[in-house]
Amino acid sequence: MSALSRHMGRRVGARLAVCAAALMLGLGAQAAPKGFEYPASLSAKLSGLTPAERAFIDDPVKLETFGLTPERLSLEFEKRDAAEVKAYVASLLTVVEESKFHDGDMGELPLNTEASSFNSGTVLRPAILDERTRDPGPISLQRYLHQRTGIPTFANAPVAVRKEDLVAGKVEVAFVGIPLDMSSGYRDAKHAPTTLRITDGLVGSDVDAQVDPTLVLRIADYGNISIDNMSIERTQGHVRFMIGDMASTGAVPFIVGGDRALTYPDVAGVVDTLGKGKVALVSFSAHPDAIADFDHELVDSIAVGRLLTEGLIEGKNLVQIGLRGPQAKAADLQRLASQGVRYHTMAEVEKSGWEPVMAKALKEVTGSAEGVFISFDMSVLDPGDAPGVGRPAPGGLTMREATPLVRRLCAETKIVGFEMLDVAPIMDPTYKTAMNANRIMNACLAGIALRKEGLTKPGYLAPVSLGAKR
Amino acid sequence: MGDDGDMALRKKALAAVLLASGAMLLAGVAAQSQGVPISGRDFTNAIEPVTIPDDLKAKLSVLPKDKLELITSGRTSRYVRPERMFTKLRTLSGPQLTAYIDAIISVTEAGEYKAGRDKPSIALNTKSPTFNAWKVQRPQTMNPKREDGPLELGKYIGGFGGSGIPTFANAPPALTYADLKAGKVDVAIVGAPLDMGSGWRDAVHGPVLLRATGGAGGNDMYSMVNPNAELKIVDFGDIAMDNLSTERSVHHVREVVREIAKTGAIPIVIGGDHSLEYPNLAGITDVHGKGNVGVVHFDSHYDAGRDRVHLIDHGQPVYRVISEGHVPGKNYVQVGLRARGPDAKTFQWMRDQGMRYHTMVDVERRGWDAVMKDAVAEAKVSAKKLWISFDIDVLDPAFMPATGTPVPGGLTMREAQPIMRRLCAENDIAGIDIVEYAPYLDTSYKTALNTNFLLNACLSGIAMRKKGLTQEHYLSPISSMDRPAPAASPPPPPPKTPLPKAAAPVAKGARR
Repeated sequence: MSALSRHMGRRVGARLAVCAAALMLGLGAQAAPKGFEYPASLSAKLSGLTPAERAFIDDPVKLETFGLTPERLSLEFEKRDAAEVKAYVASLLTVVEESKFHDGDMGELPLNTEASSFNSGTVLRPAILDERTRDPGPISLQRYLHQRTGIPTFANAPVAVRKEDLVAGKVEVAFVGIPLDMSSGYRDAKHAPTTLRITDGLVGSDVDAQVDPTLVLRIADYGNISIDNMSIERTQGHVRFMIGDMASTGAVPFIVGGDRALTYPDVAGVVDTLGKGKVALVSFSAHPDAIADFDHELVDSIAVGRLLTEGLIEGKNLVQIGLRGPQAKAADLQRLASQGVRYHTMAEVEKSGWEPVMAKALKEVTGSAEGVFISFDMSVLDPGDAPGVGRPAPGGLTMREATPLVRRLCAETKIVGFEMLDVAPIMDPTYKTAMNANRIMNACLAGIALRKEGLTKPGYLAPVSLGAKR
Repeated sequence: MGDDGDMALRKKALAAVLLASGAMLLAGVAAQSQGVPISGRDFTNAIEPVTIPDDLKAKLSVLPKDKLELITSGRTSRYVRPERMFTKLRTLSGPQLTAYIDAIISVTEAGEYKAGRDKPSIALNTKSPTFNAWKVQRPQTMNPKREDGPLELGKYIGGFGGSGIPTFANAPPALTYADLKAGKVDVAIVGAPLDMGSGWRDAVHGPVLLRATGGAGGNDMYSMVNPNAELKIVDFGDIAMDNLSTERSVHHVREVVREIAKTGAIPIVIGGDHSLEYPNLAGITDVHGKGNVGVVHFDSHYDAGRDRVHLIDHGQPVYRVISEGHVPGKNYVQVGLRARGPDAKTFQWMRDQGMRYHTMVDVERRGWDAVMKDAVAEAKVSAKKLWISFDIDVLDPAFMPATGTPVPGGLTMREAQPIMRRLCAENDIAGIDIVEYAPYLDTSYKTALNTNFLLNACLSGIAMRKKGLTQEHYLSPISSMDRPAPAASPPPPPPKTPLPKAAAPVAKGARR
């Protein structure tokens, strides 16, 4: 998967940041073997270094950003004379200096304030400017009673255009698409809302719970939220407002991204409405997305971390599931742990098996804040189940592991928001990623419907589906 | 042949006359000849004012003056077209009418930039210790000492297959500008994986996939010239990108293109999306001088968008190149346009700038040969040097399915290859770019193959020029003819060979 490693390569800034954080905490992500010392044969060459230069080469975390270890450095030094060694180290320190912001650098990205369309993408259409009047409420686009095809909407649900439609329809679950396409992996999440509308899997009951959420719940398709696909920064404010606005009607926003950067405005919008401390976040993703530092204000790899640093989600109210891959570095995990975050890596699943990990995660979530927001980045699933994903990572959860946990979370806790992220339809020639994404959302809808019907017993499964008693 | 030559000369002369006669005249003549009454003014920031119909004047006189002025200024027309507004207003009165007008004014004011309310720029995190890490250079001190010049990565001295390290056109890599200078490099091919295009994205993987697939490098049968043998070509690696900001990336691209050109090498930039046309031309004219480089822009899109929130994206490079004065409009030739834009007003703007365009409509009307002839002639007289900006979506999606914003009804490979070769042979090439390849749409890799063949067509053209093969539409006599025809006598009859008897499979195989 060389493409993936290249993406990671592009994120060299992120790696540097992680290392900087690790240094602050004194946690070497890739600590040098204990007791490594530069050989005595080098001491003459190294004696010419300044204290800063010497400290630098003694710091394995700083060296890692250059692909160096003290051992590798020793080999380089052996080939060089004292002056060359000094020049070598000085050149590395120059890179550290050059990496910082300097006067004359573009510290902000200018926009065309004369553009007549400056904000027009996000200006909502007032009802008074409609050509024709209608009563508020969701509108079904189906001409036939038992229609299977036609104009596609999420879950074949009727369409709500404005907040008033959600209110009038007493909508309990409002789907909304946000086609933000800035993934640091394969970029095609912009086509996910459309693709999940046109593919199957979201409608009907499943055999596990024998509840049809599309019958039990009042569901609407709230259309798409406008985005600026040249700027996450310009997108996030409007998304945050719109999600908060949806949540204020009492409907649970069911968000179809878009990429992981959305987690920040999505969760922030719900927290704006329900209040800080009232929301717990369950993050299903291969990637922790909480790197310490970045040159842009918002990007997928920093989205979860920003919720923590801005106090929108408390560490104790964040549970991360399915972590693996190169982004989940020791320094990041330790920092998350120090903030009270509970995380479950695939290493833990490998060691303990899925059932105990699932039980632990459920206990942690039910014991945190009352409202639960589920962020489901499709990278949490194995690429076998979900190849059409922006940032795939092998060795992930199977559908048989993820589905029951999602259904149980949605039945046994109070769901206040759900987001399905980073489906990349272009990588999904068989549409199995889309089908699985829809099935995961259906599992959550089923859970919410079970809860509405009072079936919140832990691990509830429909008796009829478990077979006749013998 | 004689007729063709005459025609070419006449076309050339015509092109020169048209150029000299100035943009306005050209626009006027062209508009008149097609009976299209389009105004000659620059509409760039113009808004059509709105006239209130007589029957509504009395009704609207109750409105405050400032509101009425905003309506008549035309600024509100973006949201509610005047005719619709008038129809509605005829049905409204009193508070309803005021509320309707207020709604229109409110959406208009919300849509425009307002100082204090809106941010005029996007802030970056300048406190980040890794602010510039995306483009910071790896110190060459970290490599073993070596003499400057292209790197020799080949393990074997003979045979096929090169080093195993994938490079553009199987060329050796070069890491520094000193390498280019020391190696007296003619052509430096550099990747620019900018992935902010608005269609299907994935241009980020364009450069690496074009390295990994075949088609560039080696003998060109049409000219019987092998660019790798005639030219010193290198793969200059990729230019660093910040794929969260086109604005930030383009300045670094400009610097790299400029520095490559300063060494005397011709930069060939492999995208990445078409925003790159802007920094490419800014960088190359930094070296050759503003106005000294003409452009042939192959594209299904005109890419001279403006009035957008972002100052640069893959639909606006031409506007920015022209408006910043790097290339005057009269030195622009566009070939293959057929997407939904530009509208009639924008065509007018292009004419006012003196730009030449050959749409697929032109190809439909006159045929490719005539269009190619004109485009090549226009390119030759436009400026001292020529840049080719080649968006692969100029070709039909049959040939280039893997591109961000494909448009049906495009050129074929048999049309695109000759013009690419000819432009590169018959002009002093300043540089070229080939952009918008999106590998994840390329299940058969035919887009990669075709793109690499077009790259090779230009490399062959540059090599032909070096060998002096610059005559109009040169084709090798060896490959284009069976054998030189005797002047007078008819060709000898084909040799009569008896039909083979029911041939054994072995013999059949041997014949092949």
